[in-house]
Amino acid sequence: MPIIVNLDVMMAKRKMSLNELSEKVDLTLSNLSILKTGKAKAVRFSTLEAICKVLNCQPGDILEYVE
Amino acid sequence: MSIKTKTETILVVMNVLAWITFIGLMIEAGAILVTYGIGLANPKMITKLYKGMDWDNLRQYDVWYYTGIISLKAAILILEAYTAYMVIKVLSTIKMTNPFTMQVAKKLENIAYTLMLVWIAVLIYNGQLKWLSKDVADLEGKILSIDLIIYAGLVFVISQIFKKGVEIQTENELTV
Repeated sequence: MPIIVNLDVMMAKRKMSLNELSEKVDLTLSNLSILKTGKAKAVRFSTLEAICKVLNCQPGDILEYVE
Repeated sequence: MSIKTKTETILVVMNVLAWITFIGLMIEAGAILVTYGIGLANPKMITKLYKGMDWDNLRQYDVWYYTGIISLKAAILILEAYTAYMVIKVLSTIKMTNPFTMQVAKKLENIAYTLMLVWIAVLIYNGQLKWLSKDVADLEGKILSIDLIIYAGLVFVISQIFKKGVEIQTENELTV
């Protein structure tokens, strides 16, 4: 898929586990796992906003486009 | 009784009714074909045809027209039985945990197309009967056709809505 999710990179930088992030963004562990492993077909803006707020980053830090 | 168990109970009852309809229609089609065969071998038996229909006049007028009408009637019954069978397949395929699948949507669409075929067959049958009644006396057996096309249209609309539901569900799946 051309859009790569670098959530695990940001989580490592912020030293945050998946469980912790799941609680803070109010997203289920399975949904977060779907996003982290690149299986998600779409991401809501509200989800992206919550993740960026918790990880203190930009959407571009999490999502990357490769040809 | 919760809504969930009520729906499941209704589906079970509908499944039973569909089976009864299917078996009944197959028996009726078989009975017509059997009495037709007996009628050819023993013309006196035509007066005692299934459901008391007397097509002796038609048989005497022309055996081929008689065969054609009986074939059309049997074909209509078989198509109706096939529709009931497809309803049985839908009810046995559908899972209440995930009812919106493309498989079910396709089956509903096929039911609508079959109902439309039944309607066309009934139109031909009624047309033939009307045309033959000019030369043959006491020819009865016209089938009401207007409700068939309404049912076909209704089922088709439902199948399209179901298909849209499946598309929306697929789109929302894996959306976080």
